[in-house]
Amino acid sequence: MSNRARVTLSQFFAYRGGQPMLAWLLHRIAGIGIVMFVGMHVFAAFFLHGITGGVASTVANALTDFYESRPTQVFVLFAVLYHGLNGLRIVVLDMWPGLHRFHREAMWLQWAVFLPVFSLLAFLIALGIKVG
Amino acid sequence: MVTQASASSRSRSKFELYMWFFTRVSGVLMLLLGAYSIIYANLMGGRGLMDADAQTRWAFFPISFHVSSTKVELTPNFQNVFWQFYALLLFVFAATHGANGIRVILKDYVRSPILLAWLNALLLIVWLSIMAAAVYLLFVAQGAA
Repeated sequence: MSNRARVTLSQFFAYRGGQPMLAWLLHRIAGIGIVMFVGMHVFAAFFLHGITGGVASTVANALTDFYESRPTQVFVLFAVLYHGLNGLRIVVLDMWPGLHRFHREAMWLQWAVFLPVFSLLAFLIALGIKVG
Repeated sequence: MVTQASASSRSRSKFELYMWFFTRVSGVLMLLLGAYSIIYANLMGGRGLMDADAQTRWAFFPISFHVSSTKVELTPNFQNVFWQFYALLLFVFAATHGANGIRVILKDYVRSPILLAWLNALLLIVWLSIMAAAVYLLFVAQGAA
């Protein structure tokens, strides 16, 4: 029973899913990213506080160094902000199906909120500027 | 005629419906809980003492470890039973929302039913152990600190 979809790279890029496909893809990537970050963080904290010393601490410190690095922080910011905003858009459209008439506008509105907030905060994180 | 297969697929789709509903409700609740903890942290003495990093850390997991690098007084406002259960509630929502998301993704990409069953079992173990780790951090490690 082989119903595997065989898609070549050129077919992948030729597929015109447009904005909805991009939103679906980014939502999924961001979701996996949040699960990885939270998973790493909670297990690292548990290794640090629960099982002190030995291999556990080495693993915990390596994980902490990874998720506290600036590129990871910028990615986590993207993941949480995008997943939250996109999820909110999905919830609103599911709750009020009449609004589907404006689903394109909703996606543009989402970018209009996401891009400035993400750019500003990512810029501050990348330069290591403390706020507040 | 109701066959075994259609009955089980109906209960399966009911499970999917419940998880579809849970994903939306928990998603909105996590945003509201995050907003409330950040607002309340500022009202109860964090204002001017917490930088943006501490506010963000506190928002999605209000454990005293997340603000211990700042100048806020941890007790009584930032380390008490209210925040312990608040953080636990938030984390149970987050872990279940995330585990369900991974379950859906696995179902999309893993074709072998046996491998899928093993991965789902592993996912169940990770889901339970991460919540146990959160309980430990909130109620044992934080209490001792």
